[in-house]
Amino acid sequence: MAEKGILDGVRVLTLEQVHALPWGTGFLADLGADVIRVESPDHLQDRKAGPFPGGTAGEEWWNEAGNMVYYGARNKRSLCMAVTDPRGKEVFLKLVEKADIVTDNFRPGTMQRFGFDHDSLSAINPRIITLSSTAYGYTGPWRRAGSRARTVDAACGLSYLTGYEGGPSVRASNNYMDHSVGDNVAYALLLALYQRNKTGKGMRVDLTMLETGVSAVGPAILEAQRGITRDRLGCAHWWKAPHNVYPAGGDDRWIVIVVSSDTEWESLKEAMGSPQWAEGTKFGTALARWHNRHELDELIANWTSQHDDLELAQRLQGLGIAAGSAMTAQDLVNDSHLQERDYMWEFSNPQAPAVGPRLFAGRPYRDPGNPMSIETVAGLGQDNEAILAELAGLSPAEIGELESEGVVFGAPRPDEPRP
Amino acid sequence: MPGILSELRVLELTHRPSGAYCAKLLADQGADTIKVEPPGWGDQARHEPPFIDEVPHPDRGTSYLAFNTNKRGITLDVEQAEGRELFERLAATADIILESYSPGRLAELGLGYERLSQSNPGLILVSITYFGQDGPYANYQGDDLVAQAMGGYLYAVTGSASQPPMGTALQQMEITAARNGAVAVMAALLRREQSAEGTHIDVSTMEAAVSTPSGLIHPYTYTGRNPHRGGSDGNVMDGMHLPTLDGEVTLTTAGTGGRPMEAWAEFLEEPGLLDSRFASRSGRMEHWEELHGLVAPKLAQWTNLDLMRESMARGLVVGLVQTPQQVVESPHLEERGFFVEMDHASAGPLKYPGSGFFIDGENAMASDRPAPRLGEHNVEILCGELGLTVRDLGLLRAARVI
Repeated sequence: MAEKGILDGVRVLTLEQVHALPWGTGFLADLGADVIRVESPDHLQDRKAGPFPGGTAGEEWWNEAGNMVYYGARNKRSLCMAVTDPRGKEVFLKLVEKADIVTDNFRPGTMQRFGFDHDSLSAINPRIITLSSTAYGYTGPWRRAGSRARTVDAACGLSYLTGYEGGPSVRASNNYMDHSVGDNVAYALLLALYQRNKTGKGMRVDLTMLETGVSAVGPAILEAQRGITRDRLGCAHWWKAPHNVYPAGGDDRWIVIVVSSDTEWESLKEAMGSPQWAEGTKFGTALARWHNRHELDELIANWTSQHDDLELAQRLQGLGIAAGSAMTAQDLVNDSHLQERDYMWEFSNPQAPAVGPRLFAGRPYRDPGNPMSIETVAGLGQDNEAILAELAGLSPAEIGELESEGVVFGAPRPDEPRP
Repeated sequence: MPGILSELRVLELTHRPSGAYCAKLLADQGADTIKVEPPGWGDQARHEPPFIDEVPHPDRGTSYLAFNTNKRGITLDVEQAEGRELFERLAATADIILESYSPGRLAELGLGYERLSQSNPGLILVSITYFGQDGPYANYQGDDLVAQAMGGYLYAVTGSASQPPMGTALQQMEITAARNGAVAVMAALLRREQSAEGTHIDVSTMEAAVSTPSGLIHPYTYTGRNPHRGGSDGNVMDGMHLPTLDGEVTLTTAGTGGRPMEAWAEFLEEPGLLDSRFASRSGRMEHWEELHGLVAPKLAQWTNLDLMRESMARGLVVGLVQTPQQVVESPHLEERGFFVEMDHASAGPLKYPGSGFFIDGENAMASDRPAPRLGEHNVEILCGELGLTVRDLGLLRAARVI
């Protein structure tokens, strides 16, 4: 956990996997909450998902995955314990007494089967806030359906609207929905804490990926109710032209150019060297440019393809035109703007010395009142003993028993397949 | 229950969807959110198509309507001294102010954080811009596509490997920046409860784009390879969209106990899927056209909702590629009570999406009011709260201050 953050004293128990929920609880960990990731020895997929240095999992692969630093275990603590074992369950319920928040991303029904549903936990600790982050929620005919971020990208309407102009629909992303849900989880949990400060009472949050996704396509939802359809336009725009991605010099290099007014169009013409084709009525007005946008895009592409995208974007921005390179990860790592803003964070994980220092995307906002950084990353089961002794009140002998009897783990089982 | 943020006041002085959406997230939780728009023209989103019933009218832009629920609205020209003075008086009553001017412009107007926080030390000011408050790009021009490009999302995520980069529809980077802003505001509010101190938050849409894919920066720094678009190309079982009787679906190999082709062969009654060429992921990719030829005709016999129900019953995982119309008519969302209906004076009754979460079984989305008409609450706020007379309003209107 981060030192002396604003959530100092807030404890979160999280039964989390994959991306969405860990991303959400990661915000709370960055803000100083004691986020305890309760990991199952039988489901180590997150620690297997990498990325690993050079693409190869090392000797202690379970502590070496980059995703664990980026969101899985950063600023969190790890308790690797089988909560399905009655002794593990007993410990978990003891921890609930000292927790503020319990989160999970199981399908509806699983927490109840464990005896960890809201009513059971609330009976132990009436101030408890529980949040379940699921695809479709605890009610409704789809509540038992499994999901991937991509399948919900589809179900919420975003995929249908995304695609090349005139082409088929494509999923917007394999994990954009995870990320939006994570952001919404963080928002909902902070709202819940804020509310509990006023009322002293816990609450139950049923948060879904489908609904988070639909909330992000609101305009299309309103349009559908009045028979308005949206064509797929790729990088083109409803009313702006030029507004697209254009080829630049070099292999797989691209530049985005957006013109929103006649003034900007005049500037772009000048930047292009006032070519003959750009004069006259065909592209003279916003309306004409939009209707003739395919021809316009081709002509602009002929020009951009002779230029370096990074240099051209800078030049166009100097003329007040919204333009930018389609940056690769490498471009971003070397980007002077992000460097000057200290956006990327370098982190060297003492739990994974073989990995050495690596750069990570930082938080996309800055608040001098609530500074954030990566301070620790929990290795698998790294905090078993501290948590069991200090929070569950177990003696060293009792802890030793749990370890030797296969309830608590400090490393994967010897026969665990390597990633 | 009254909204969680109902004791708070938010002023929104922003010009892009990120700011409007961030303010909406707070308004939807009950914050008294006052949208401050330039007189005459108002928020640019009012003028952007499409429009409800295809009538170009400043109250009918669908983005405007969608991103401004539960707000009140006034007009105020903060470029004029009179307008600034009124804004300052309102700012003294605000807990949170959102703005999106070019960095430094607000301070030039005499409305910077230093000034406003003098009389209101608990103020939380959120600047939400494309590139943030400092650095070489701080004064660059942006929009959602530029943010997708410069944030690395465009190159790496959505499009096809063999085609140019292609972005995500509907301004998702704006929305992501807004969500980050709302998280930052909540953290600042919790801090303020302890310290009574406000703060100035700097949200960057470009950085929201960089942070968004789980696999962009660190996969590069771990492996030396640039993540590249095309993740669903030629991936019949785990990526492509495939037609059904009344729409499209995307399959997954999840929920098959590690035997995806057996499970899908049984479900689709297509023994051809058991061919050894399709046994491994790489085999399926290599022979994707043949695989597609077997799977597509079978799926084309299903309707979307039947396919969802039956696959769910068998523990298989699919995603319906729903049209917005199908989302609006979704029996699942209907049963959950996700949409809230509000009747707008100009656009009429419409169902609006909720917040994405329910608290103690209740939809945590206020339905106090649809998006405000331009200057709708001028009298209520400027006269009712700041004590101007109706005659004053007339003078200010003539001077184009409101």
